[in-house]
Amino acid sequence: MTSETSNIKPLIYIILLNLLGAALISIQYGGVNLEAVILTGAFCVVSIVSYVVVYVAELGDPYLFLIISVLGSVGCIMQTRIKPEYGIRQLKWFLLGTACYFVIMLGYRFLSRWLTKLLPLYLGLSLALFIATQVFGKTSHGAKNWIYVGGVSVQPSEVIRILFVLGLAVIFTAPMPEKLESKVKIKPRLLRLVTASAVTVVSAAFLLLQREWGITLLFFATYFFFLYVYGASRLYLALNGLAAAAVAVIGATKVSHIKVRVDTWLDPFADASGKGYQITQSLFAIGEGGMAGRGIGAGSVYFIPEVHSDFIFSAICEEMGVVGGLAILMLYFVLVYRGFKIALSCTNAYNKAVAFGISFILGLQTFIIIGGVIKLIPLTGITLPFVSYGGSSMLTTFAACGILQAISGMKEELTDEIQ
Amino acid sequence: MKYNRKIVTVLVIMCVLFLSIFVYLTWFSLFRADDIKTSNYNRRLWEREDSVLRGTIFDRHGTELARSELVDGGQKRVYPYGSLYAHVIGYNTRSYGKTNLELAYNDYLLKTESIAEIIQYGMDGSQMKKGCDLVTTLDHGLMETAKASMKGRSGAVVALNPQTGEVLCLFSNPSFDPNEDALTKNWSELSTDESSPFLPRATKGLYPPGSTFKIAVAAEAIESGMEDYTVDDGGSVRIDGRIFRNAGGKEYGELTLARGFKLSSNVLFSQLGVELGAPRLKNAAERFLITKKIDFDIDTSASAWPYDGNMGKTDLASVGIGQGKLMTTPLNMALVAGTIANGGVMMKPYLVKSAVSPNGVTVYETAPEALATAIPEETAEKVAGYMLDCVESGTGTNARIRGVEVCGKTGTAQNEREGKDHAWFVGFAPKDDPQIAVAVIQEYSGGSGGSSCAPVARDIIAEWLE
Amino acid sequence: MGGILSRILTYIFVIIIYLFIYAIIRMIFLDIRAMNRKKSGSLAEAYLKLINLRRDLDFNMDESYELEDDEIIGRGNKCTLRLPDKYLSVRHCRIYKSDGSYFIEDLGSTNGTYLNGDELTDEAVELMDGDKISIGRLNFIFVMPKTEG
Repeated sequence: MTSETSNIKPLIYIILLNLLGAALISIQYGGVNLEAVILTGAFCVVSIVSYVVVYVAELGDPYLFLIISVLGSVGCIMQTRIKPEYGIRQLKWFLLGTACYFVIMLGYRFLSRWLTKLLPLYLGLSLALFIATQVFGKTSHGAKNWIYVGGVSVQPSEVIRILFVLGLAVIFTAPMPEKLESKVKIKPRLLRLVTASAVTVVSAAFLLLQREWGITLLFFATYFFFLYVYGASRLYLALNGLAAAAVAVIGATKVSHIKVRVDTWLDPFADASGKGYQITQSLFAIGEGGMAGRGIGAGSVYFIPEVHSDFIFSAICEEMGVVGGLAILMLYFVLVYRGFKIALSCTNAYNKAVAFGISFILGLQTFIIIGGVIKLIPLTGITLPFVSYGGSSMLTTFAACGILQAISGMKEELTDEIQ
Repeated sequence: MKYNRKIVTVLVIMCVLFLSIFVYLTWFSLFRADDIKTSNYNRRLWEREDSVLRGTIFDRHGTELARSELVDGGQKRVYPYGSLYAHVIGYNTRSYGKTNLELAYNDYLLKTESIAEIIQYGMDGSQMKKGCDLVTTLDHGLMETAKASMKGRSGAVVALNPQTGEVLCLFSNPSFDPNEDALTKNWSELSTDESSPFLPRATKGLYPPGSTFKIAVAAEAIESGMEDYTVDDGGSVRIDGRIFRNAGGKEYGELTLARGFKLSSNVLFSQLGVELGAPRLKNAAERFLITKKIDFDIDTSASAWPYDGNMGKTDLASVGIGQGKLMTTPLNMALVAGTIANGGVMMKPYLVKSAVSPNGVTVYETAPEALATAIPEETAEKVAGYMLDCVESGTGTNARIRGVEVCGKTGTAQNEREGKDHAWFVGFAPKDDPQIAVAVIQEYSGGSGGSSCAPVARDIIAEWLE
Repeated sequence: MGGILSRILTYIFVIIIYLFIYAIIRMIFLDIRAMNRKKSGSLAEAYLKLINLRRDLDFNMDESYELEDDEIIGRGNKCTLRLPDKYLSVRHCRIYKSDGSYFIEDLGSTNGTYLNGDELTDEAVELMDGDKISIGRLNFIFVMPKTEG
């Protein structure tokens, strides 16, 4: 966490990137583009201010926000390139997200003492959100995953995944309440495993009902690796793995929705105008982009369905090339790496678990959606953090990263000194 | 902290996941993208056509085979020779997509100046930009000759330069008019026509090779040290209860491999097939890529080796004379002849010499490359000698040309229609400095390869060597 | 022509993203290197021992820092020994070895370098075992292992 104000290179790059983005979009629309100019100004100001605030106030990891800012810039430039209104709306979400980032960060810092005692809140809130989705949910693209709150569509599973991590972290790291321990005659370790499994099974059941295959995978994998890190026996891990595999196999063969996805993954060209339409159009885009790309604004990304949300990465590959796509991938990797690093250097057990869980979810989510649109794995509808269009995704990812920022900045309790 | 080690393990797993995307995406872009892009579902193929005038396709001497003309509100693809090139160049229509060269080279036909070119030649002010022109290896004269010589019969004529792999003639009949208006008018009729005019016979038609396969069998026999193989030919031989007869039931008496080849003795080659056995027969086909898909500018068919493991003696005997279940394409047989001509090295066939931008810059060029070394040069030399005898004084005398040493092999392939054999001729010339290799097939001709196909090959070879 | 210009600008755009990634990775790398300066077990070399109570500092410090033959101490990322104290200058002071002895010199720092309570002037001063060095809010003892013979 030692950094220096004189090292402003990353900031200079951010400014250059945004200027270039504005130029590219202006070329595309054949004249100076107001939206692009607003974007550039906003991003430059937000990046510089945030960096200085984090640095001066010693709020922890100084890189997190910079990386997020570049991802946000690329996202907004691509959104504006697709449709100028999208860009401006995305910018609004980004600014709101930034506010959310710092609010959550401060909130987490101040509330950190109580966070481990709020397990019933996490679980209750999750359950309420799941039920609300089930009752009021709107279906889009085969998944029942949206609810409308005051005219704004929200994807509750985005919020639940943070609550899920906070909850799992409590379950695995918080000391058992003594009362409970004396009352229930089971070992604490076993109790933890059972609670975690129960929470996961209930969540997965809701998610499967709502046909959120990708997010189910996300939840399960998070739970699985929590088990792994927090010392479940190999037998228990294997059992969980087998159970998940069984569910996956049954799903892939019996549930027509999943079967279709697996089939189109194996051979999208079998029904390129129907079920394989999305993925084949995505592959055409990536293929046409080649290594170097067709230039931002010069591609034909409008042929890609859902280009502004799930398939934004295909558009990036078409216009910025595979080399550009891989740059974005590396940005995510550095972000996830920072998350893991924060978890590793954190000495508070609960915070460590939270940082680990958040980083893991962030990384896996990125893998699932990018892997899906390039046909490495079956496609499931998940947003690409900070780049895909959408408010609830933006706000919740910002909130999650705000927590990471908070953990990175908390003064460590130097537990190693009392050895 | 005690959990750190395991967290690091999870981080490593995360690295592996990201790395897999990295590797897959790179692999996809380098090796898969070009194939996928040409799919007719890719709407970008058409998009550029609104702003770029599609390039012209020429034969090797500059004859226009396909060109685009500006008509109000767009462009129109014109094929001056109608059906002649439909199975090579294909068609380019919005309703039916693109095929053959129009599809495979779409990128070049619509490719506009590169950055380097703009720097060198400056910006072109005209509204409609022009794509690159394709110069093919085809010879329009040979195509016309093939058409005339085939006299409307169904089949294919393939001619190529054995030393480079340049395809000079790729004629398939029946065919269809690829001009959009004609295509729209005739589409339903064409697609239900029993003579399958949409089948590009030269590249995708699969036929039993008949006696022309004896070229491969003879080469395999020489390679296996059976050059001195002899039989007593009594006109027919019974193998496992099935009788294999010579054409016309002729008895040749004591036969060497060379004479058996020249006279196309089924008695000799059926027994040779049994003698060689399954692995070597399979090897004979594989040497000449008969069971492999040939990498070519346009799509080709390939048959897999049709027998699994245990072949009976009758199967071995059938394959020995090119009957049985083994199938191949006329293009493949022309390559077999070309391989013998070129000292055992099969050159990769190609149709497009180069793509040239409107500024005259060559943006793409095909360099000849070897596809496989089928047999050693000495063996090729020996088989070429057999083929020369076959034309000079054997079954292929109709292909003789005064003053030119023509090498060849006739074939008559039985098929599902009784008494309507396919006729084959494959060959090359001149023997010592081969300029052209040909394969001619006439479907269900009922005639023999010597009588119906050899004259076509002769016309093609004669015209080319002129 | 728009296409070509877009393309060129996009190349630059992508290159800048890579430069950004490089800059971030480099900073992270330097951080890790600074944090990994572990107190070695044997301490055969000369080292600086922190005498502040670590719980009093609001940033992380190690117990001790081994000294290489030439160390630039400060907050900046060009320093060979980076310390996160805000009261340090970017390049604060230098400790180097010459003819088997260690010397310390101030590099024009804002808050000065103190050796046993005296502020250093321009000149380098030889360090003796047990000397107290104060920079910013940090206080160290210079420890020089006994050389054999």
